[in-house]
Amino acid sequence: MSRQGRPQDTRKVSGELFSLTYGALVAQLVRDYEKDEEVNQQLDKMGYNIGVRLIEDFFARSQQGRCHDFAQAADVLTKVGFKMFLGVVPTVANWSAKGDEFSLILDQNPLVDFVELPETHQGLLYSNIICGVIRGALEMVQLEVKVWFVQDQLRGSDSTEIRVKFLKKLEDAVPAGED
Amino acid sequence: MSVTTVQAETSQCLFEFLHMEIVSQLQQEAGPDKKGEVQQRLESLGHRVGESLVERTSRDHPRFKNELDAVVFMCKQFWVTAFNKNIDNLKTNHQDTYVLHDNAFRLLQHLSEGNQYREEAQTYLSFACGLLTGALSNVGIKCQVTAEVTKMPACTFQVKVLL
Amino acid sequence: MTIYNLYIFDRNCSCLYYKEWTRQKEAGIPREEEFKLMYGMIFSLKSLISRLSIISAKEGLVGYTASNYKLHYFETPTGFKFVMNTDTSVGNVQDVLRHIYARIFVEYVVRNPVARPGEHVDSELFAAKLDDYIQDLSFK
Repeated sequence: MSRQGRPQDTRKVSGELFSLTYGALVAQLVRDYEKDEEVNQQLDKMGYNIGVRLIEDFFARSQQGRCHDFAQAADVLTKVGFKMFLGVVPTVANWSAKGDEFSLILDQNPLVDFVELPETHQGLLYSNIICGVIRGALEMVQLEVKVWFVQDQLRGSDSTEIRVKFLKKLEDAVPAGED
Repeated sequence: MSVTTVQAETSQCLFEFLHMEIVSQLQQEAGPDKKGEVQQRLESLGHRVGESLVERTSRDHPRFKNELDAVVFMCKQFWVTAFNKNIDNLKTNHQDTYVLHDNAFRLLQHLSEGNQYREEAQTYLSFACGLLTGALSNVGIKCQVTAEVTKMPACTFQVKVLL
Repeated sequence: MTIYNLYIFDRNCSCLYYKEWTRQKEAGIPREEEFKLMYGMIFSLKSLISRLSIISAKEGLVGYTASNYKLHYFETPTGFKFVMNTDTSVGNVQDVLRHIYARIFVEYVVRNPVARPGEHVDSELFAAKLDDYIQDLSFK
């Protein structure tokens, strides 16, 4: 992919420490763990821990309030959340009939600039941290979700697609004696 | 705040959360009393990142005239790319040692402005030490970097050039 | 304006932080009990407000006014609850509470690598920044 002729993208320059560090982390995990699946899981777990905090930073920076429904959450996640932190707005598509599942389609994935997956690690979900972040962030606004990669451009697919499925609404803890 | 500054700040924030989690995972894996091991791993990670980051940052920069020129670059353009600010003060003995002062190191800013968390703070300097060794090694300067908290959130990075 | 005290709760009923600047009367019960009472009261009020609401309202509890003090409430979408008591001369302080959340709590607790979610806030930097902000306000 040639990047000549494009004006200097400040986001790319300032986001480089993050994406390079992420790349080094993935490379280290690949060395540490035997199976790609283990790396994927570790990335998801780390993403979750990051998401749990990141969402507070999100609310601190934006004027967003609570979402009323899952569709609104999808909207805010992509148009505000992704835009704010990764500078891209994924398309929300492929809603399930029940309205409890949707896909995020990413044309561009800022995490993977200059990344190529080696032949021996085709099972690796390089950007799996994103799934964990979404899961952790949404849990803090009481949406229990399952998030997973459907397709990855890094693995040869046409697009990068992440699926988000609503599992259940988490209730606030009820203080003792208030039932 | 300009749009680009806002973007730079949110990218910085993302990096900080990632770094925080990496440290947390390393600490969990290593177990208690294994600070040295954790710091070493962070430094190696930082080293790899430093090598790549300096390449990207110095793409349009003319060749370094000498060692000092390269170190000054690390204090300015390189540190700005990494942390959105430059090193505040540089001292050298004109032999083999440089001391870089950061008066408000990004990774210490949310911790403390006094003595609290001083001990824990040391671990948050390791990655940056690696950034420096990696960056400098990539421009032909092999060195050792040790960091020390002076007064939170200020710290120094001592660069000792190896022959 | 006189600011009496501030409670910060998370959504698991834990009081993460409490600070008082002026307090003339004690509740007469141990601190822990007071925190539980405060949390329970907020919880009940919110529930009553939404059930008794005449119009469908997005926001819920903002606070209440007693004869000699005012309670102000701010909740984040993530369930952090900020409760502040002030004298009755104080108007709407949603922006103050929001500032405490966004510029102090998020900066010095959420972004503090040593502070873990769900734990009591021990950061001295957080306490100092909060104090500065409150002292600043009190002179306006």
